[in-house]
Amino acid sequence: MPQPVARAQDLLVGYGGAPVCAPVTFTLHPGRALALVGANGSGKSTVLRAVIGLLEPAGGTLTVLGRPVDERTVEFRSAVSSVLDDDAYFPSLSVAEHLYLVARGHGVLDAWDRVDELLDEFGLADHARSLPVSLSSGQRRRLLLAAGFARPRSLLVLDEPEQRLDRRMLSALADRLVAEKAAGGAVLMASHDPELVRAVADRALHLDDHANELLSAADAAERIARIPS
Amino acid sequence: MTDELPHGGPAVLPGDVGDLPEARSIRRFTAAAGRARAGASLSSLLGDVYYAVISAAIGAAVAVGVAGQVRASLPPPPAVPPATSLSLPTLVAVALLAGAGVLVSLAGRLGPVGTGGAESAWWLVLPVDRRGLLRPAARRLPIVGAVAGGAVVALLDGGLLGDSGQRTLLAAAAGVVVAALLVLLATVVQSAGVSRRRVALAGDALLGVSAVLAVVLALGGAHLAQLPVAPWPLLVVGVLLVAALVWLVDGRLDRMPARSLRESGSVATQAMGAVVSLDSRELGRALTAGSARPVRRWVSRFHGVRGAASALVAADVAQLRRSPRHLVQLVVAALIPWLATVVPQLANVPGVLVAVLVAGGIASSAAAEGARAGEMNPILDRMLPLAAKTVRRLRMAVPGVAMLAWALLAFAALGRWAGDVGTWLVLAALGAPVWAAATVRAAYRPGPNWSKPLVSTPFGALPTGVTTVVSRGPDLVVLCLLPTWIALILRHVTPTFLLLQVVGSAIAFAVGSSIATGTLMDRLFEASGGAPGTPGSKPAAAGR
Repeated sequence: MPQPVARAQDLLVGYGGAPVCAPVTFTLHPGRALALVGANGSGKSTVLRAVIGLLEPAGGTLTVLGRPVDERTVEFRSAVSSVLDDDAYFPSLSVAEHLYLVARGHGVLDAWDRVDELLDEFGLADHARSLPVSLSSGQRRRLLLAAGFARPRSLLVLDEPEQRLDRRMLSALADRLVAEKAAGGAVLMASHDPELVRAVADRALHLDDHANELLSAADAAERIARIPS
Repeated sequence: MTDELPHGGPAVLPGDVGDLPEARSIRRFTAAAGRARAGASLSSLLGDVYYAVISAAIGAAVAVGVAGQVRASLPPPPAVPPATSLSLPTLVAVALLAGAGVLVSLAGRLGPVGTGGAESAWWLVLPVDRRGLLRPAARRLPIVGAVAGGAVVALLDGGLLGDSGQRTLLAAAAGVVVAALLVLLATVVQSAGVSRRRVALAGDALLGVSAVLAVVLALGGAHLAQLPVAPWPLLVVGVLLVAALVWLVDGRLDRMPARSLRESGSVATQAMGAVVSLDSRELGRALTAGSARPVRRWVSRFHGVRGAASALVAADVAQLRRSPRHLVQLVVAALIPWLATVVPQLANVPGVLVAVLVAGGIASSAAAEGARAGEMNPILDRMLPLAAKTVRRLRMAVPGVAMLAWALLAFAALGRWAGDVGTWLVLAALGAPVWAAATVRAAYRPGPNWSKPLVSTPFGALPTGVTTVVSRGPDLVVLCLLPTWIALILRHVTPTFLLLQVVGSAIAFAVGSSIATGTLMDRLFEASGGAPGTPGSKPAAAGR
């Protein structure tokens, strides 16, 4: 069994020392996907922020690639790709230039070729020269997702990637994530979408205030479907 | 920070991967794209530089001229100063210490190093050397602080105190060095992982200490004849220290965690937007919210709450009590009029009048956090079963009590200066509602309206739509406290002034309770069947 990409043991996350959910325990190996599911406010995004180093754990242990999380290291930033809901862009950079910045910044040699491929794949080819401010919220979401794939990675962290995506794009994203696993990458995602969880995740962790529960992807999808919208 | 991880390289590659680029090339790529789309020609750039230089020169000339005028109008210091008094140079020295506290507090609240939203999202995730990305951001605040520190010291020493050119040069150089040192020290502390709140608290504490020091020095009769200046060798040591701190900070930039940089950048962006749009409320929110403790150690039980009205007041009390910056601000503001009366050269009508106006403004802005929160989130005013006007009146309760306490302290000093403490305290109590009404009126003012015509002035174009909005609140202080101002000018309180102040306070209370947001001119225009009010105004925020 290869060494896990991410491992949490009794991890406590929260703000100002107050945990937002019960202690979290999981292990994520290369080529596998783990979904974090649960009601709004159950702590999914908070756990993800801890995993990518934007939040200091309040307790327990959390390692990524065998080391305690430290996003300041070059190696961590080389290996962990994250797509949160950061709706912030350089006002003067076009869509294509944003993607190029990420690809080239990670040392991708033929970066413009990769950018063109991603623009096609995420339906942004017609907006390559547009400034992000002129895009719809769904298009900006696709730009963020494309940026997550524009760079090398071992762990892909996604916070509700289904947000503002239509069914066709969501299906394409699911295929992309399955391919990610096949290539040896690990995926950690928070999601409210039962179809995406069922298609991509191997396991799911249901977060709750009192106790967290490790579920199969099918069980998690069923549980999500039962949550009233 | 380039320790090898046991896993080797990334598992998934989007293509061939080579060496990582220099951080500088990332910055240059971003800047070049921005320049390409800005459409700015060399001539427009030169025009902008020319305009900035001329504006700065005019501003400096005006400031120096005002300081010189003030100095010329000051009476000479007495040959034998009173036992309880401060010389003007001593007061300036204490004020500079307070300024250092403000600088540290600001540095803590603004970072000092931070990255804006775009930089956080698109730069900080790159595996390039973070130092190369952060260098410009790390230099910005120390340079701004140093320039501001040098300018303020030069203005006070050369302009107000009329020191010789060489002494002023030395003092200004010391101001530059000390300001840079303070901001750089705050940066080192930030890189060590200390929270911004602690640095801000240290600055607030220094501000409080300077107020206490002023009192102690005045009671002890401290009389510096000149502002103390550092000798050249000490300045050289200071410059070397600055250089050492710059080097230390540069080496620690890659240890700045992204979460700290994001938070600081967010606050700085919000504060900068507030400054550009001349919105002091937004500036206060930016500087306060970012450094507040995220979780409280204890939960207020609100035992005194008996209904909707008391709930609203209790919430305002809790807001004020939990903001150390505002409490320090109130204490410092209460001491300012007293200090003016114990500095022989300032203990005259203009000096005391200016001191009361400045101190009143500082104190009242500290007491209206609840009203400002209600203006930003109108839902807060609508949550309770209270009429809009009632909400507005209740919002005056906490500022009213705070300003009553401030006025009693401040006017006791005025009474001592004028030789009749009792009636001045009565006048203070009668005028306190005006301060409360003014601060609530200012808190609920609409946003600046930039679409109104500009008026040409010797200092440049004046946006009338902004000045009419910014003057909401101060207008009440000027007009409804007229009996107080006249009494102060005459150094004498008569029963007529007390009666007129009651009337002024009643008017201020009525105006402060108003939920109309347009100006008087707008409402007259609407009443005459004209177009609706200012685009910047919005419907009344509160009420059923």
